[in-house]
Amino acid sequence: MLPYNLYLFFVFVAIDVPSLKCGDVAHLSASESADKLEAVPSLSTAAVSSPVPAVDTGFSFSLLSSFPEDLEVSDYCSDLLHIFGQRYVAYVNCLVPAARPVKVCQSCYSTYGSVVEIYKNISSDQMGPGNVTCRDSLLRSDRLMLVYQLYSNLESLWEDSNCAQCVTGDLESLTNDTLYFMSTLNQTLTCFEKYQQGNHTELCKNCKSAYGTLNVLYSQMEKNSTLCIDIEDAMNMTRRLWSKNFNCSFPREENVPVIAVSSFMLFLPIIFYLSSFLHSEQKKRKLIHPRRAKSNTSLMNIQDKLS
Amino acid sequence: MANITKKVSWSSRGDDSALTGEGTPLLNGTEIPKPSRKLSGSGSVFRIGRFSTVDLEDDITSEEDPIRGRPKEIPHNEKLLSLKYESLDYDNIENQLFLEEERRMSPMGFRCLEISRWVICGLIGILTGLIACFIDIMVEKLAGYKYQVIKENIEKFTEVGGLSISLILWAVLNCAFVLVGGIMVAFFEPIAAGSGIPQIKCYLNGVKIPRVVRLKTLVVKVIGVICSVAGGLAVGKEGPMIHSGAVVAAGVSQGRSTSLKRDFKMFEYFRRDTEKRDFVSAGAAAGVSAAFGAPVGGVLFSLEEGASFWNQMLTWRIFFASMISTFTLNFFLSIYHGKPGDLSNPGLINFGRFESDSVAYYYYEIPLFMCMGALGGLLGALFNSINYWLTIFRIRYVHRPCLQVIEALLVAAVTAAVSFTMIYFSNDCQPLGPEHNEEYPLQLFCADGEYNAMATAFFNTPERSVRSLFHNQPGSYNPMTLGLFTLTYFFLACWTYGLAVSAGVFIPSLLIGAAWGRLCGILLASFTPTSPIWADPGKYALIGAAAQLGGIVRMTLSLTVIMVEATGNVTYGLPIMLVLMIAKIVGDYFQEGLYDIHIKLQSVPFLHWEAPATSHWLTAREVMSSPVTCFNRIEKVGTIVDVLSNTSTNHNGFPVVVQVLDSDEPAKLCGLILRSQLIVLLKHKVFVELARSRLSQRKLQLKDFRDAYPRFPPIQSIHVSQDERECMMDLTEFMNPTPYTVPQDTSLPRVFKLFRALGLRHLVVADDVNRVIGLVTRKDLARYHLGKHGLEELQLAQT
Repeated sequence: MLPYNLYLFFVFVAIDVPSLKCGDVAHLSASESADKLEAVPSLSTAAVSSPVPAVDTGFSFSLLSSFPEDLEVSDYCSDLLHIFGQRYVAYVNCLVPAARPVKVCQSCYSTYGSVVEIYKNISSDQMGPGNVTCRDSLLRSDRLMLVYQLYSNLESLWEDSNCAQCVTGDLESLTNDTLYFMSTLNQTLTCFEKYQQGNHTELCKNCKSAYGTLNVLYSQMEKNSTLCIDIEDAMNMTRRLWSKNFNCSFPREENVPVIAVSSFMLFLPIIFYLSSFLHSEQKKRKLIHPRRAKSNTSLMNIQDKLS
Repeated sequence: MANITKKVSWSSRGDDSALTGEGTPLLNGTEIPKPSRKLSGSGSVFRIGRFSTVDLEDDITSEEDPIRGRPKEIPHNEKLLSLKYESLDYDNIENQLFLEEERRMSPMGFRCLEISRWVICGLIGILTGLIACFIDIMVEKLAGYKYQVIKENIEKFTEVGGLSISLILWAVLNCAFVLVGGIMVAFFEPIAAGSGIPQIKCYLNGVKIPRVVRLKTLVVKVIGVICSVAGGLAVGKEGPMIHSGAVVAAGVSQGRSTSLKRDFKMFEYFRRDTEKRDFVSAGAAAGVSAAFGAPVGGVLFSLEEGASFWNQMLTWRIFFASMISTFTLNFFLSIYHGKPGDLSNPGLINFGRFESDSVAYYYYEIPLFMCMGALGGLLGALFNSINYWLTIFRIRYVHRPCLQVIEALLVAAVTAAVSFTMIYFSNDCQPLGPEHNEEYPLQLFCADGEYNAMATAFFNTPERSVRSLFHNQPGSYNPMTLGLFTLTYFFLACWTYGLAVSAGVFIPSLLIGAAWGRLCGILLASFTPTSPIWADPGKYALIGAAAQLGGIVRMTLSLTVIMVEATGNVTYGLPIMLVLMIAKIVGDYFQEGLYDIHIKLQSVPFLHWEAPATSHWLTAREVMSSPVTCFNRIEKVGTIVDVLSNTSTNHNGFPVVVQVLDSDEPAKLCGLILRSQLIVLLKHKVFVELARSRLSQRKLQLKDFRDAYPRFPPIQSIHVSQDERECMMDLTEFMNPTPYTVPQDTSLPRVFKLFRALGLRHLVVADDVNRVIGLVTRKDLARYHLGKHGLEELQLAQT
């Protein structure tokens, strides 16, 4: 199979554009082989990149003002591409304002759904009108693979933000958990607002239950892994408000008992060692006198002899 | 020659009258001029009688030293040699039985032996790996449970107040674990205390440490180490793993368990010290390899610690055992972690992998690393000195088991108290990471969503703390936190090592080093704000850990390889090597390595690589023990029994001499026989008269000696009737007919080399006509050592 494809390839490159009849076949097989020949990308992409023209011909080279019809992208495909562009822009327009405080999941899930839908259409195998499929021509006819790249960027954003856990499977609405969390959050925030003026100890006392419920709910959702970036961020902000702004963390007020208990424990070994030093009898070793050869050869005498 | 006057000054704090023993003629010395005295049967009995205390005192009255009569007592110190340690019989006894067996054995038989050696090594690897796996899982479970309980308690009391109760709970839980471990060790098997590496080192050096490779020791060791790690002490489980591997090897290679009284009738050929010791070195290697996931490091550890008897095949077999042990551990841990078949899980301690972008280091960092090595050496020497004084105190005053258990409990409680106080007063709060590196994050007084950074260091098993110090993001620790942690943990670890619990010192050392290493990294990065990329704190933590560990244990080759293998990257090979080298040089200037200190304090007759440097003027005549208790080739049973049961002279080897018929001729050396052999002979009543009367009596075989190995019954348990005392015993067949001998003018280093290289136990000193004039044993050689004031001599003591 492979050598045949390669062969075709070279034929295609050699004959170049004017080969009309077999152009279609050559195109197909060429892009197929582009899949299979990823090991030699320079060759395949070099060969395949030429048949893809820009849809907007406004800035195309004057020499190659247009390709013959066979190599042009069909109208159907360029329509799809157009819609993709519009929805993409809509989604990004939605995302950017939602960046801080993070609301990317709750405000943009529907636009994301539309992007997914159109991309599905583009990448599907099904033949559109005129027996064309846009997958090959739009997604992988060139080295850049712009459409694919754009989409996969969005996809990885979506995955990083864990939005899938807050949105129902069909991207139609937020999950009940999320909605419930949001309402609890709102309660807490209203409570904060209510007591914000004046003494913060008041706030700490009065909002404690609401904040506690929220915390419990959050850790429960953490366990079930139904958290998305919106919830995490909202929780982070609330916690920061609670701990840093309102200073409602637990105070360190038990210094005396802790110091007392630990110094008592530190004191015990001193007593132990002292008492064992004073009361325990010291372990003595009995020296054994080895049997040695005659005295005049002992160390001392050797030394004497030497000196 | 001030050296020698100094030599005598240490032996007993100014009590000079006792010292005359060194210079005065020894009681027995008077007999030396006539070593050729009669050694006929009756003569021997007489002579032995003369050594009894009564006669001794009679003789002493004529001398000026009244203290000699009763043994002198001195406090324990490091300059003693204990009598309870004996040598291993590494040398083959080529007696007639041995030759006979060899003749009977077919070439096929030898091949089977070789194969079974491999099988045993495989078994050693598998069992060691399983034990490592067991320890790991148990520690993880128990410690996990403990920290969970405490964490919940702390969370509860942070809210409502009463945190001192959490502190007490922590201390009580620690104490409960340590109590179990301490009681096991102190009351059941004291030899299982500590890391076990000093003991294994001695065993591989050729010293038989009583009970060190028993099954009971293994059980106590394994339970002890689980308890002490779960009990939150500043200890690791790696040293005990090495000991466990050695015990497994000693057990498996014998094909039976004397403790369980089960004999599988396997591997009977290997029931000798020679074979056993080879297998023990394989077991130690397997232990290292399971502990650190470092098979090559394990082999090199055995090589470094016990390499006097080494050949290529043995090395290869040991490597096999190490590999199998790592493999087994990986395999079972992969099942435990729910990823069966994933064999990439490294050893017990998992240092984690260093990411590729942080491993780079540059030439200008090498001087920094070397400075860190020097610092590690200094801190290691300090650690060792403190531990030395502490250990002496413990041996002298805290020697009763109940006191030892109480001490361990106190250490556990104080560890908890200190850790808790540190955590309580720490202001270092860090945001929780996205992937939750921290196993048990404690919030305490930190803002919600943050955790206490001090708690990641203290509120964790030491291994996890090491890992987080190596790998946590830059900025996850304050310099203040690290400094306090280093200081506290240094003293805790130093205090803990030497307690009556099974515990290793590897991990605590690594932890201390990693903490100050990371501190160095952070400080360096803050000094050079322009390019902080190269000062990755994790890298400096690793170098610091290596420096600290090298400064404490002073191993070089094997430690480098272990560190490289445990971190899984060769890039740091050079820095680690340099650091360990410098740590050793600097540390040795002040104090010996921790293991050597403990070997010394145990009074073990340990033979180093070389004889002391300035000892060439000593000859075998000065070194040897004399006179020697000899036996005739055909000896009276009564004589043998009397000699063996004499408690004051607990000899193990007896030269066998042959008496030419006319009694004027001196007796000449013709062989050497061991106590254990004599005991077996007496037990089987191999007497000349009986052999004549009962012709059908089965001939004694080598198997009978092996069956009694390694616990030969004491002489008291062998009953010899009055009639039998008059019988004669022919030792010709059983003695080693060609013992090594040296002339009396041989220098000490020559004798030493012979001893060390051949693994001898007894070396006969003979004169020009082959008369026995003395016997050199391990203790005679080990007593010379190079002290601060030249050559010093250690004293023998009963311990």
